[in-house]
Amino acid sequence: MATRKKKLTPPLPEAGHSSAGIMLKGMTRLISRVHKLDPGRFLHIGTQAPQCLAAHLDNQVAIESPRAISRTSENDPAKHGEQHEGQHYNISFQDLKTVFPHGLPPRFVMQVKTFNEACLMVRRPALELLHYLKNTNFAHPAVRYVFYFCSPKFKRSHLWVKNCRDLLQSTYNKQRFDQPLEASTWLKNFKTANEHFLSQIKVQEKYVWNKRESTEKGSPLGEVVEQGIMRVRNATDAAGIVLKELKRQSSLGIFRLLVAVDGVNALWGRTTLKREDKSPIAPEELAFIYNLRKMVKNDWQGGAIVLTVSQTGSLFKPRKAYLPQELLGKEGFDALDPFIPILVSNYNPKEFESCIHYYLENNWLQHEKAHTEEGKKELLFLSNRNPGQLERLCAYL
Amino acid sequence: MAASVVTAARGWSGLLVGVRSAVLRLPGLTQVRWSRYGPEYQDPQIDKEYYRKPLTELTEEEKYERELRKTQVIKAAPATRTSSVFEDPVISKFTNMMMKGGNKILARSLMTQTLEAVKRKQFEKYHAASAEEQATIECNPYTIFHQALKNCEPVIGLVSILKGGHFYQVPVPLAERRRRFLAMKWMITECREKKHRRMLMPEKLSQELLEAFHNRGPVIKRKHDTHKMAEANRALAHYRWW
Repeated sequence: MATRKKKLTPPLPEAGHSSAGIMLKGMTRLISRVHKLDPGRFLHIGTQAPQCLAAHLDNQVAIESPRAISRTSENDPAKHGEQHEGQHYNISFQDLKTVFPHGLPPRFVMQVKTFNEACLMVRRPALELLHYLKNTNFAHPAVRYVFYFCSPKFKRSHLWVKNCRDLLQSTYNKQRFDQPLEASTWLKNFKTANEHFLSQIKVQEKYVWNKRESTEKGSPLGEVVEQGIMRVRNATDAAGIVLKELKRQSSLGIFRLLVAVDGVNALWGRTTLKREDKSPIAPEELAFIYNLRKMVKNDWQGGAIVLTVSQTGSLFKPRKAYLPQELLGKEGFDALDPFIPILVSNYNPKEFESCIHYYLENNWLQHEKAHTEEGKKELLFLSNRNPGQLERLCAYL
Repeated sequence: MAASVVTAARGWSGLLVGVRSAVLRLPGLTQVRWSRYGPEYQDPQIDKEYYRKPLTELTEEEKYERELRKTQVIKAAPATRTSSVFEDPVISKFTNMMMKGGNKILARSLMTQTLEAVKRKQFEKYHAASAEEQATIECNPYTIFHQALKNCEPVIGLVSILKGGHFYQVPVPLAERRRRFLAMKWMITECREKKHRRMLMPEKLSQELLEAFHNRGPVIKRKHDTHKMAEANRALAHYRWW
């Protein structure tokens, strides 16, 4: 009965898997955690175009006490409900390493290191998403959920379409370019996140890498990943194959696939990369981007796609743009067309209180005036309840 | 320098009432900085708590003062002073001294990053320490900053005095503000010059602040060197005439 689920992003609540969508503070990335409690495990493929944002977890509030205490003991994201809104729950370091080997925002990583614990806040959009995921019908084509939020704050360099140091002409298709370094990193992370699944999924075609090496039909997917990691030249193609196989096989119902992409607006924008003759490269010419685009098309069943659009990673777009339509552009919007947009807003007063309480518990707010009502009012005003801004303010207070 | 009002700036009225004469303590220096405000201008009251006190709680003196302020002219509050609870004049002064070319945004961001770096380092030490040591570790970056600067302040300074065609380094007592200035100046110079090319200012500054807090490090050494020089030139103390 161990149905395997492949989750690229938020875990599917099938078979009691619990994954929590974590709203990242101010940043654009919805990261779902796979909770390995129940039978069946999740294959986690996280692709991040832009950096994912640190999720700010607030502790759960004990239901009995009237005053909102920021922590909760319910660590299973699938079981989060309305009453847990605004509370922090803990993620163990093991889970963190497996589910998020890459792609956590640097500020969140620093925070985890300083506090010696990874806590995220349960927020309404996450609960909404969990509710949708719990009620998905897996026979239908995959549904797309797009998170967008206003007033993004951080500048994050886009992983794939900017500052890429080496581009090779693709081994598979001469018109396209490979990104060996990024692809091999991605494959390594994919391996860490989804170890147990790799041996169970079999490829359905024969792939020839070069004159001496090839992967036979029916061999486990782990081999393709290994091949990509070892032979960096073919890493992008290996990643493409992985994605293709996953997509094809998830329709068969063996596992559930969750595709989570952060900053999906990068897939359709412009890039800052240039060829040797200084002519710009369009995203479609990057093999990895091309494969990712195929992934987010909803022509497969048995899973869900969760995306975020963020202004911070996007290039050549106005700073104030935050709606999906503006950030994706016409092409992107048409490609993603039937999707469910979910707005992630700033903190509401309860969440804000919870957040401040969490910081106070950890002694993070050291300034003596920060404990007073005046100080809290000032923090509220200065941050405008934006999670990212609040985190930055509290860092030096 | 004492900000003395030069009557020439307001036109010669013939009256010398209200001219605050500055004590020219150093020979050969003239007043170059003065403010456009006359002596009748009062300093602005920025504190929010002052205005929030209900009228019933005020003493007679305070009521009189409030009435008086209604008739007086008041200087404009500078843009750097806020009524925020988190404002700290020492931090503001330090930020201004770190500023280059008027780039206050950069200076302020460096300051905040420094405070954050200090805090994170102390937290790390705190989590790694045992229970008894945890009580001694100070995690508040503001107390560390203030204490570090206080530890760097020299008690006595040296001044070049021209006598008989030679300049002598004469030990001289320093005013409070001169001491604070020297502490901040030494700290900033040390962090700017004696660091690796690729090291960033917040990192270096946080390091130096923590060392000064524990009374070790190059800035404290410089303070001690100044004291030793002053002690060595004790004999020249009578060259001072103020």
